[in-house]
Amino acid sequence: MAEVHVIGQIMGATGFSESSLFCKWGVHTGAAWKLLSGVREGQTQVDTPQVGDMAYWSHPIDLHFATKGLQGWPRLHLQVWSQDSFGRCQLAGYGFCHVPSSPGTHQLDCPTWRPLGSWREQLARAFVGGGPQLLHGDAIYSGADRYRLHTAAGGTVHLELGLLLRHFDRYGVEC
Amino acid sequence: APPAGPSVFLLMVNGQVESAQFPEYDELYCKYCFVYGQDWAPTAGLEEGISQITCKSQDVRQALVWNFPIDVTFKSTNPYGWPQIVLSVYGPDVFGNDVVRGYGAVHVPFSPGRHKRTIPMFVPESTSKLQRLTSWFMGRRPEYTDPKVVAQGEGREGKPPGFRPCPPPILGFSSLLPSGLALVHFQINRRRRTFWHACP
Repeated sequence: MAEVHVIGQIMGATGFSESSLFCKWGVHTGAAWKLLSGVREGQTQVDTPQVGDMAYWSHPIDLHFATKGLQGWPRLHLQVWSQDSFGRCQLAGYGFCHVPSSPGTHQLDCPTWRPLGSWREQLARAFVGGGPQLLHGDAIYSGADRYRLHTAAGGTVHLELGLLLRHFDRYGVEC
Repeated sequence: APPAGPSVFLLMVNGQVESAQFPEYDELYCKYCFVYGQDWAPTAGLEEGISQITCKSQDVRQALVWNFPIDVTFKSTNPYGWPQIVLSVYGPDVFGNDVVRGYGAVHVPFSPGRHKRTIPMFVPESTSKLQRLTSWFMGRRPEYTDPKVVAQGEGREGKPPGFRPCPPPILGFSSLLPSGLALVHFQINRRRRTFWHACP
């Protein structure tokens, strides 16, 4: 079995109009992949941009996968939420990116989007907060039912991920 | 065929904690330590240290320079648990007590060569204004019983593990506020017995 190590950080986010942001992240893989070590999902702390635009999380990621096939290469999916002073959470954006497939250290910028509702819901969101959210998280990383959605852009999440690959050469895979 | 059984590789980490930017604080010192998984062990050098106390330069840079050496070698059989360096920065408050000014962590780089890392520093702070005021008077800030929790991802939502607020919280939960940036230089060498794809 070939092995993949994903070691890095969710550094932070820029470009969101909301402040006090936190990120829930998870990794989705295909059936041939098995997580040997590490946690498959997590949540960062809340951070408010102090200098400039960037909210810093520095959230560590350390995953060790074993795989029998290339299909279902891991995808990191992200949900950025903002928290107001009353402790209520509002969705700021959904995003996903594939874990890189070549060894080395990679800087990734993951764009995000959020579902828009009807004009009533948009007006309510501007005044009271809240807004539509996805019922099932798999629309974040899958393209299957996306055509039903009407969305607006959110900010960008910045990640630095390092990849170590093992035994891929035994199977003739070039990396 | 590659040899069966665990294969050991060595990771040599040299470098320095060069400097920091903390707009609000002065007279700071830093401590570093490494956090690593179960399959890792240090074989040479020092895995922790305390720097000198430094003051901001008088010029426009307002630089806080430590130039504090890092020299450690790890051995391991598994990249899982790749070492992270955890920095804790401390300085005096108005009453002269030593309080924590920031914690930060970053993974040691993979590939051989020279690398610079800028680490955002966070300080645990209560969201309750009353507790912040009381802790300012008492000179006792919330600080982690073990700074190594900064290198973990678990428990960052809400109350982090190992958190010791003093005095006890009245209401609200703790959050992490960014307070500054630290700059660390790394110089990495690796030695490996078996061949695995790593980095250019």
